[in-house]
Amino acid sequence: MPKKTELRRLIRNFAVELAIYSVLLVVYFFAVLRFLGGFLTRLAHTHTLLYAVVGLALIVAQAVTLEALTSALMHWLHLER
Amino acid sequence: MEFPIAGVTVNPLLLAGIGFLVGILGGFFGVGGGFIATPFMVWAGVPWNIAIGTDLAHMTGKSIVAAKRHRSLGHVDMKLGLVLVVGTVVGVEAGAQIIEKLEVAGKVDVVIGIFYVLILLIISGFTAWESLRALRMVRTDQISVDDALGFEGLAHKVYGIKLPPMLSFPDSGIASVSLWTVLFVGFITGILSGALGVGGGFIRMPLLVYVIGVPTHVAVGTDLFSVIFSSGYGTLTHAMKGNVDILMALVMQTGAALGAQIGATSTRFFAGPRIRLLFSVLPLIGAVMVILEMFGLAAH
Repeated sequence: MPKKTELRRLIRNFAVELAIYSVLLVVYFFAVLRFLGGFLTRLAHTHTLLYAVVGLALIVAQAVTLEALTSALMHWLHLER
Repeated sequence: MEFPIAGVTVNPLLLAGIGFLVGILGGFFGVGGGFIATPFMVWAGVPWNIAIGTDLAHMTGKSIVAAKRHRSLGHVDMKLGLVLVVGTVVGVEAGAQIIEKLEVAGKVDVVIGIFYVLILLIISGFTAWESLRALRMVRTDQISVDDALGFEGLAHKVYGIKLPPMLSFPDSGIASVSLWTVLFVGFITGILSGALGVGGGFIRMPLLVYVIGVPTHVAVGTDLFSVIFSSGYGTLTHAMKGNVDILMALVMQTGAALGAQIGATSTRFFAGPRIRLLFSVLPLIGAVMVILEMFGLAAH
């Protein structure tokens, strides 16, 4: 269990991390909607297997890359996670 | 906002909010949260089949986020998780076969519903009893709250089974346990999962703690690691049947990823018995949902 001063620092850093992460999540969603929305809709009705693979890849990519990007930004800002 | 793949109009903030709620629960307790998310999505206006498939899709992403966070805290035993996945996959198929046989006999919904509610009540009652006992032991016996377990008998008996091959799981602090025991735990979870149509997180997590003797924090993280594979497979099969709206899943994932980070990080500030005590409420919520469904009171 972290000590009080360390806890305060951890909570502050975590809040910064969440703020960065939120922005990236929203940007990612609107980027997919803007650039892939039409393509995904067509794919869902024509090539179900490809749609399933692309859909899963988009979900996995969001989870993996945005978290890695947030970690890199936190490291760049010299904020310990 | 209109989601053209599913052909429905739903408030995206509501979906992100549902994702956020189940994200916190998933990150903290190591469950997928489908038993809460799916009925909420249906209530929000999403058709039942799309709600199930889309929920699985966002669950995959959320579990990756939460498992990564737990791994950074040293709470994921990847070797154990992979062995569990093998047992679970076989169990899911067996569970589906059992359902097919029961469907031929008729009255399957009632039988499964009653069985499911009983299992949930047993898990809830046992976990609450054990965690309260562990917390009492901490006060009276002056033992570390992290190590406290109110029921160790089963895990000790399981370690006594010397059926080769024997495996060690250093990340869980297990020196030697039979491969078949771990596969059996995965298999049991899979059977219930396949028969009851749930992810199985709230069955697997207590089994990991009480049967295999995995520390609670590691059980939560390892369970999430296993959920990645089970929900990922479910997403693929449901997407091919047209049950996944990936844009809707991404909206939910926006909230769920944040919630999962909060939930997973919060486990740092709670000792094992307190996590288990809070966890004991979850199966009760699941039981209420099933009872409402059985009496036709759930959202459809």
